[in-house]
Amino acid sequence: MDTFNNFLQGSITLFSDPINILIFLGGIVGGMLFGAIPGVSMLTLAAILLPFTAHLTAEQGIMLFSVIYCTGVYGGAITAILFNIPGAPENAPTAFDGYPMTKNGQAGKAVGAAVMCSALGGVVSTIVMMVATAPIADWAISAFGPPEIFALVFFGLAVAASVGAKTFWKGWLSILIGLMVAVVGLDPVGGIERYDFDMPYLLAGIHFIPTILGFFAVSEIFVQAEKKVRGSYIAPKISVDFPTLKELIEHKVAIIRSMCIGFFCGILPGIGATLAAFMGYNEAVRWSKKPEEFGTGKLEGVISSETANNAATGAAMIPLLALGLPGGALTAMMVGVFQMHDMEPGPLVFLNSADLVWVVFAAMFFANCSILLIGWLETKTIINLLRIPFQFLAPMILLLATVGAYAVRGLTIDVVVMFLAGVVGFFLRRSGYSVAGIVLGLILGKIGEQTFAQAMQMLHFEWSGFLDRPIAAGLLGVGFLTLAATIYGEFFKKSPAAKSDTPSEPRHSPDA
Amino acid sequence: MGKLKTGHLVEAGLWLCLCLFLYVFSFDFERPIEIYKFGASAWPRAIILLMAIAAFGQLYHQWKYGDEASMSLIGTTVDEDEDAEEAAHEAHHENAKWYLSTLGLLSIPFVYMRVPDWIAAGADLDKTGLHITRIVVAAILIAIVVYFIRHHRVRVALMFPLFFAALLEDFGFYSLAPFFIVGVMYLFGERRPRQMAMITALIYGLVLVLFVSILFVGLPIGNIRPFYDIGGWIVTVLQ
Repeated sequence: MDTFNNFLQGSITLFSDPINILIFLGGIVGGMLFGAIPGVSMLTLAAILLPFTAHLTAEQGIMLFSVIYCTGVYGGAITAILFNIPGAPENAPTAFDGYPMTKNGQAGKAVGAAVMCSALGGVVSTIVMMVATAPIADWAISAFGPPEIFALVFFGLAVAASVGAKTFWKGWLSILIGLMVAVVGLDPVGGIERYDFDMPYLLAGIHFIPTILGFFAVSEIFVQAEKKVRGSYIAPKISVDFPTLKELIEHKVAIIRSMCIGFFCGILPGIGATLAAFMGYNEAVRWSKKPEEFGTGKLEGVISSETANNAATGAAMIPLLALGLPGGALTAMMVGVFQMHDMEPGPLVFLNSADLVWVVFAAMFFANCSILLIGWLETKTIINLLRIPFQFLAPMILLLATVGAYAVRGLTIDVVVMFLAGVVGFFLRRSGYSVAGIVLGLILGKIGEQTFAQAMQMLHFEWSGFLDRPIAAGLLGVGFLTLAATIYGEFFKKSPAAKSDTPSEPRHSPDA
Repeated sequence: MGKLKTGHLVEAGLWLCLCLFLYVFSFDFERPIEIYKFGASAWPRAIILLMAIAAFGQLYHQWKYGDEASMSLIGTTVDEDEDAEEAAHEAHHENAKWYLSTLGLLSIPFVYMRVPDWIAAGADLDKTGLHITRIVVAAILIAIVVYFIRHHRVRVALMFPLFFAALLEDFGFYSLAPFFIVGVMYLFGERRPRQMAMITALIYGLVLVLFVSILFVGLPIGNIRPFYDIGGWIVTVLQ
């Protein structure tokens, strides 16, 4: 009952002040637009807005960022589906099946599924967040130390290596490139410079926003450029055909599973929506009776990824508000908002600023609900973007990406890095490597190394210490089993093409 | 040799060269950390080792299965990669000559980023001299790009944005962006001057209004006159 009263109070505070309403609506539209416009993301918007939150109250600033977080995670799905350009890494798995659906003339259905499942995942996550913040935070924080987080990162990478690339080995090589890029800069324990080649720019590491923009947005433009030259670029067919209730009910297991995965990943500091989306997608494939259909335009792929990433948004606020631990880039920016108002996120926020917490919770709840309405309307507008000839869209995307990369730190070298990442991504993609794997490696690399170092120090450099911790041991065990099973398949199983008398068709063959 | 092709050996060779390069440079930061006995180099070296293993694993896969996709545990591939591979294959862009000439063109932005400084240092030029050198080098490189643009569109398309990024610091976003928009449209096959002019004005105007007028994002105005003055004037007018 207390929870309901607090929620009611938070809602009244939110909607009784016109400025709050304006900020709330601005966050919804801004998050969706920046999530949806190819080449920029909610992080670009958040980075641009961060300095201006000093003019708002702490309550308004955090509320704005939390709304942008909810709607931005959804907004990125639109471009992932329509253009194969995920607005953020957490939308990358959405593109795996969403883009093929667009090419199959089912763009409307894919976007519709993303709207419904994002809203559903987000709303449920927010409700659970409101009801269970304290007990879940207590459990996760006490049960998940650095060894467990490292084990979870390893498990996530082990599973993700199987997705996205042409072969298992290329998947791993993609992830390892990302991990290596994350190494550049100062090491997390001793602050020693690594691979800086005496360039001051590299001391701070390679920023992930230009890298993501390059690997996803720019490399996609290059692929399309090549198609234009050979005259095989065909604008995707558009139809607005939202999934029916029956179709959603058919996927209820996938939705519930992705909600649980999303919430679980979201609550862990440093993991967040990206791994949630990848794991949601991977588990959908793993449990499917027809795994070979994934990647060719299967609705369940979009549903699983989008439910999981939005389910993570509510959960990601728990470690942030309860312990001051950001779950990702956007929640890290929220720490900046707190600090600008001379506040520190953590347990004291619940005691001293309960109003703030409940306004944020209420705003997130209504932001997720609004995805259904505004997302529906916005989708119809954004789908029209597909009608714009690509020779007009390409310079716009590249110019927006330029502004996005530059706006993060005000460095032109970030723009160079972005276009360089685009060229590298182009060559890797045409050779069967996975740009999503690279980005995942890049993001999880820093967390992985940091938690590994902390874990080893905690365990007094005894490797066996991992085995004494059941959760860490379990996650590492499952991760190693996943790897072992795949490697066994590589070495000892016959190729399906060899088994079959008919020539294999790479795109749709079972081994694809 | 199983199903191995020369390209597979080159691919594995490139990976192993990368591993060797990274390993050699890892000695630059092999310093002890008092509280962490593995030091700063253990993590990158573990990644390098795994990279080398994966490169050999990939080579084994190609020896056994050729270019077939692997039978992964969850059995899926990303369509975008297949698209990219298919595009490359159909455009006959898979031979060594194509890759080498592409690398040659891709060096143009880096030539601009380094050569004017070398010339200025060699000739002991002052700031104005350096700026003039930069303008001259940029003009020569632009002429080279224009020469290649008609017959090597994909290669120029890869290099063009990078060249734009390399020029940004000196010539500024405001002066370069219209030419960049026109260049990208041309590379994507647009040839109608009226449409190109209209779309350029529209995109340029939208970006300036949204980011400069409304969001007050500071974009690079350049270092070299008169480009610096043009950028400054546009910012003053818009803000």
